[in-house]
Amino acid sequence: MKKNYVAYSVMVILFLLGAFMPVILKSYQMNMLTEIIIFTLYAVSYNLLLGYAGLLSFGHAMFFGLGAFVTAIAINHIPGISLINAVLFGLAATIVAGFIIGCLLLRHKGSYFALLTLAFNSLFFVVATKWSSVTGGDDGLSITRPDLNLGFTSISMTNANHFYYVALIVVGIALVFCWYFTQTAMGKSVVLMRENEERMKFLGYNTNASRLILFTFTGALAGLAGCLYALHFQFVSLSAISVDMTTAVLIMAFVGGTGTYWGPILGVFVYILLQNFLSDITDRWAFFMGLIFIFMVIFIPGGLSQVIMNLYQRFFGKKTDDNTEVEETT
Amino acid sequence: MSDHLHIQNIHKDFSGLKVLTGVDFKVADKQRHAIIGPNGAGKTTLFNIISGKFKPSSGAILYKGEDISGKPPHLLNRRGLSRSFQISNLFQELTVFENVLTGVRSRHRMRCNFFKRPNSDCTLCAATEAILENVGLINEKDKPASSLSYGKQRALEIAITLSTEPELILLDEPTAGMTREETELAIRMIDRLTKNHTLIIIEHDMDVVFSLAHIISVLHYGTILVSDTPDKIRNDQRVKDAYLGEG
Amino acid sequence: MSDIPVFFLHGLAYAGLLFLVSAGLTLVFGMMNVLNFAHAAMYMLGAYFSYSIMLHATGQFWLSLMLCPVILFVIGGLIERFLLRRVHALGHVQELLLTFGLAYIITEAVKWFWGNYPIAINIPGVLNTTIQIFGITYPVYRLFILCCAVIVGLVMAIILFKTRLGIILRAAVNDSETVNTLGVNVPLVFLGVFAFGAALSGFAGVIAGPLLTIYPGMAQEILIDAFVVIVVGGFGSLGGAVIAALFIGELQSFGVLLFPKLSMALVYMLMAAILVIKPSGLFGEKQ
Repeated sequence: MKKNYVAYSVMVILFLLGAFMPVILKSYQMNMLTEIIIFTLYAVSYNLLLGYAGLLSFGHAMFFGLGAFVTAIAINHIPGISLINAVLFGLAATIVAGFIIGCLLLRHKGSYFALLTLAFNSLFFVVATKWSSVTGGDDGLSITRPDLNLGFTSISMTNANHFYYVALIVVGIALVFCWYFTQTAMGKSVVLMRENEERMKFLGYNTNASRLILFTFTGALAGLAGCLYALHFQFVSLSAISVDMTTAVLIMAFVGGTGTYWGPILGVFVYILLQNFLSDITDRWAFFMGLIFIFMVIFIPGGLSQVIMNLYQRFFGKKTDDNTEVEETT
Repeated sequence: MSDHLHIQNIHKDFSGLKVLTGVDFKVADKQRHAIIGPNGAGKTTLFNIISGKFKPSSGAILYKGEDISGKPPHLLNRRGLSRSFQISNLFQELTVFENVLTGVRSRHRMRCNFFKRPNSDCTLCAATEAILENVGLINEKDKPASSLSYGKQRALEIAITLSTEPELILLDEPTAGMTREETELAIRMIDRLTKNHTLIIIEHDMDVVFSLAHIISVLHYGTILVSDTPDKIRNDQRVKDAYLGEG
Repeated sequence: MSDIPVFFLHGLAYAGLLFLVSAGLTLVFGMMNVLNFAHAAMYMLGAYFSYSIMLHATGQFWLSLMLCPVILFVIGGLIERFLLRRVHALGHVQELLLTFGLAYIITEAVKWFWGNYPIAINIPGVLNTTIQIFGITYPVYRLFILCCAVIVGLVMAIILFKTRLGIILRAAVNDSETVNTLGVNVPLVFLGVFAFGAALSGFAGVIAGPLLTIYPGMAQEILIDAFVVIVVGGFGSLGGAVIAALFIGELQSFGVLLFPKLSMALVYMLMAAILVIKPSGLFGEKQ
């Protein structure tokens, strides 16, 4: 299991690098980095569906947005709520929503799944738009981050760098857990189901239940990312729950490469940096992002991680260590 | 000997097309039962019904005395019923080892475990390797299934079927498309591996059927023509008519 | 309650539009097994092209009604031939991603060329009158939309069920591989169907323009309604699309009258209910 040590050491190195960033970067760069880290969790959770289970969802933003809104609403309506409880509220809401919607989608795969998830995402968006007394409608919701109370001490969250560390630790733990998940029995079963669901059934696997669990699990991770998103910007607008937010995660994951665990993380960096770069030179950055996306769908379906791996193989002449089972199918 | 499986008057029609019209037979415990019949007689449909892929239009399937008709495949598998496929149904991209491990860990209730890693469990790996040893694939265990020769893919198909340690094994034309030598090897392997198990086998190759089966049932136009020991089947006039008369 | 006939007719007109969009969508899905996310983008392009044509050749509604479907037929054909066919071998997810990406850049392109704001199109002179029907005064234009949908629906039904081409098409829906071996040029059939679907969608866009204002979000709006039509009616079923379009058109229309706050959510509730009761849709075959 050499692969695992490599993966864990990469994560530790990335984490340590991240911990030093506040010393080096300016505050607007720190803002962007916090955003990147939060979206990393969102993109990895999305890739567990798309890359590992082969389920193309157009509704991931409903969980992201739900987590964000519930957290914001909890903070605004429950006086003195602690940071942890606000996040737990958001998380619980997405787990319940993920389970209910998962039950409705249970039997569907492929195009049906894509279509239905898009429809449910629109439903969430419509409800958020219409229910403006709670969600703030077009104006969105402003919140103030509560302090983090750890029992023995309380850490002020008014300092953006303090929140950066909270996000870094939470997302770090979640990503380690996700990596571990891909190695567990459940994580392996998910890939096998994509490969040959019929055979799985005849070997005693309840594939519908597995799909439901995976859908709820990835939804909850996206919800957690949404909670952090709300806390980071101290503001939630309708765009957090719109289909555009799903589009964003889809492009991030795909550009980075859905064939590997690391691809989407790379994708988030590229997407957000590229977005900042393009939006400086043109108002039409989304159009060019779309062109890049189409180009990659046609010519580089494995994403940037495929490009990197091909280059690596060309120069070092051997297979890289970090290609997981998902990779083998491309 | 008690009945392991009792098929009672199974009918199946697909939007009007009657494929099975009253199939009846019993399979005793630890018995090997072969089903033969011309193409299109409904043999695979019967397997699909027994293994839970289709619901019968009417009739019952008693498994150890309990009606299992219409139960989903995964529950039947958990109760000890496992089937193979006529066209190899493997995880093509996975290694031979992982193919078999999939069934082994299902048997050991490691299907959806969120916290344990199957590859790190010694018992599972040992069990998997034992099965691979038995079917003669141990040297290929780290090759992807898609790279195997046709004969070895068929052997892997059987290995996967056996990997959940079933009590009742259904084999759908295990030797289809094999060469003479491969077939002989396969017969010996099936003979060895299915001792002390109940086996139902669909086969076209009469050598396989007569050398393996205790009882042979002839399925003809959706119903069982006759069910008897190999010696009697060999001399049965109706069977001769069905096979010789209509090809 | 004298409003009821008005709302009923409103519902019918919207159902007509929905049918025109979802018919192409369901046909392409049934035949090529591709869920075309860019389908509604064709509808939007139809509306914007017709706006531009009428801007340059003032008031030429009928010209744009004839021209736009042709333009979109060509665009649809090009997309199928040079993009979709390329990714077909890569599998299902890639096809979905491609059509989705196309929908995305078409929306962005529309924002770029025509601006990210609503534009109103005048109803063409001849049709800009009212008529007495069921004892109420009703705008002719909505009836015109309804007529268009009925005519297109009938023509499609005749082609599908009464001609040799229709037999090939219906066979291709069931089993495209077998049809391929029978000497039919299946890639050409696919090309034709895809292009025809795009043209139909563009046609719907042209006639939708004067009824609804046009804006860059119009594609996504009708796409989701069309998806719901397909879920409710059943995948690949033209008859199901008719019934479901009527259902949803009326539901939208009366929803506004009866539950103004909930009107948009009603459609989704219907969809969720269908998913629970009959997951394959009203007229869909079991998956």
